[in-house]
Amino acid sequence: MTWQADTIMIDQTLTPSVPDRAGGASRVFLRAPIAKHTWGCFAYLLICAPLGVVGFAFTVTFITAGAVAAVTFLGLPLIGFTVLAGRRFAGLHRNLARKMIGARVDDPAPFQRRPGVLGWLSAALADGTGWRALVYLLLKFPLSVAGAFGAGLFWVEGVITFLYPVWWQAFDPTNKDSHGHVHHAGLQFGDFFFETWPRALVVSAVGLVAVFLGPWPVRGMAALDGVLMRRLLGPWTGSARVRELEEKRTHAVEDSAASLRRIERDLHDGTQARLVALAMRLGQARESDDPARVRELVDSAHDSAKDAIAELRDLVRGIHPPVLDQGLDAALATLAARSAVPVELHTHVPQRPSPAIETIAYFCVAELLTNIARHSSARQATVQAHERGGVLRLEVRDDGHGGARLGAGTGLSGLDERVRTVDGTLTVNSPPGGPTTIAVDLPMGV
Amino acid sequence: MRIVIAEDAAILRDGLIQLLTDRGHEVVAAVSDGDALRAAVAEHDPDVAVVDIRMPPSFTDEGLRAAIAIRRERPSVGVLVFSQWVETRYAAELLATSSSGVGYLLKDRVADVSEFVEALTRVAAGGTALDPEVVSQLLGASRRGDVLAALTPREREVLGLMAEGRTNVAIARQLVVTERAVEKHVANIFTKLDLPPSGEDHRRVLAVLRYLES
Repeated sequence: MTWQADTIMIDQTLTPSVPDRAGGASRVFLRAPIAKHTWGCFAYLLICAPLGVVGFAFTVTFITAGAVAAVTFLGLPLIGFTVLAGRRFAGLHRNLARKMIGARVDDPAPFQRRPGVLGWLSAALADGTGWRALVYLLLKFPLSVAGAFGAGLFWVEGVITFLYPVWWQAFDPTNKDSHGHVHHAGLQFGDFFFETWPRALVVSAVGLVAVFLGPWPVRGMAALDGVLMRRLLGPWTGSARVRELEEKRTHAVEDSAASLRRIERDLHDGTQARLVALAMRLGQARESDDPARVRELVDSAHDSAKDAIAELRDLVRGIHPPVLDQGLDAALATLAARSAVPVELHTHVPQRPSPAIETIAYFCVAELLTNIARHSSARQATVQAHERGGVLRLEVRDDGHGGARLGAGTGLSGLDERVRTVDGTLTVNSPPGGPTTIAVDLPMGV
Repeated sequence: MRIVIAEDAAILRDGLIQLLTDRGHEVVAAVSDGDALRAAVAEHDPDVAVVDIRMPPSFTDEGLRAAIAIRRERPSVGVLVFSQWVETRYAAELLATSSSGVGYLLKDRVADVSEFVEALTRVAAGGTALDPEVVSQLLGASRRGDVLAALTPREREVLGLMAEGRTNVAIARQLVVTERAVEKHVANIFTKLDLPPSGEDHRRVLAVLRYLES
């Protein structure tokens, strides 16, 4: 069989134990002011304030200058230069955001230079990535101002307010109200002065609340920047999709080449060798005068012929199982019946998926059942195939010892690659000790 | 004959041993990869080695590499390369290193037991045995196709059989003509291909093949 995996690695499940939800939330809230992430975001907002101003000023100045100079031969090169410089700014922002706020933004495709000065110019002017970077620089200015002076200052003021009793006592400020009375307060609303300890403590309490609330606008502004960055500084969604498709195509081509090699090897080492042996025996028999020897040779040739037929049958089934022509239900039923581990089968696929999908579905189940028999020490397996909303979902479950994993070089990752070539997904849930559930979602058509 | 067999498919290895033993030959060693083949040849100094081209570990052409090495190191040992398909480049490489005592047959030929054993005997005696398939591919691949175009169809047929390593007697039998007629064809071929005739069968073949490869 050509699709069977030889190995499945064993490891722990990825599912973390879910902590008490309320306890977890309050812990996160209480820790926010000292969390590394908060401080990363805070520092990021502070750094971004000057950067935002510089980027904005640069973009506005050079684009305007370029536009004004466009009547001369200097204008367009100036704009081209600005566009490419936008890429540099973008790179700086991406790096900062990755390091400081953990933003996940991929690098866009590098600049495609064309030969010659005019080539360079036209490529630069048509560089979507660079223009998107300039748009980001323009938007970044108000965003960075709001981030630093809104969210950042709010938190800082929260801290200052919290510490009110300290600096109120330390500096002992003197102020007069509208009637000329002298007060000693660091804070006042009109003629209301915070000059007694109870009042000072109220101020401090309000500050304390602000200290705990402050991290959230800080984190929020940083996250907003991250979103903007993914949109404008990441790879263009169109080109990201192209890259993804290219990757899938490579998998598909490699996979079919590997399948062909396996088939060739099976034919060469198996069937072809058997047929040669068969011809050799018959040749010997034809030239032999001893009836007993002839009989022996013909018997042996007969065995070779039967072996060759059996091998061919397996090989054909490995290429395209004929039972698939009768539909996925029939094919899965055959698999279930042939499985070494007892299988309970539930199928509800009223509409037939496209042939390519049926084949992938069949081999997925075949391989998963083989894996169960080989590695899981399960006593019972369940196979489900359901269609819902244009998605064919296969679920193969077993009561074995679990620990199946989607790692490099495992049989499961081979399956995963095959499934992804048609935009499908494969999910593994296999905690140590079992049970294991592997779900494969496939589109109904390719 | 004392024979070493190198073949990784057990079923064929056993079949060959049985076949050759039945015919009164001695299989002194049967191995399944190139290194073991060279060791066995060094140890037993056989008359001829039957070598599968594709063997472990890389399953590409280790048999051919070993065959070429054997021809170079021990010219007294004939090598019959044995494969399930014909590769002109392999045949050319084999013939380039060695002027005699080589053969290249498709595995299918073993079905005609007598002819196979005959070919093996020829190789062991320092002759040549090329599969008709190999010959036709070599003729087809030849850059001297225009020169060969000067030959009549009958002469091409004779040239092909010569290239397989057949004697004039064998060619005459095959084509159901007299030996005298074959000799005439051969003389014509040499004239047309501008080759001086020579007394020995295998030399003629190799001269022809060299000419084709040039």
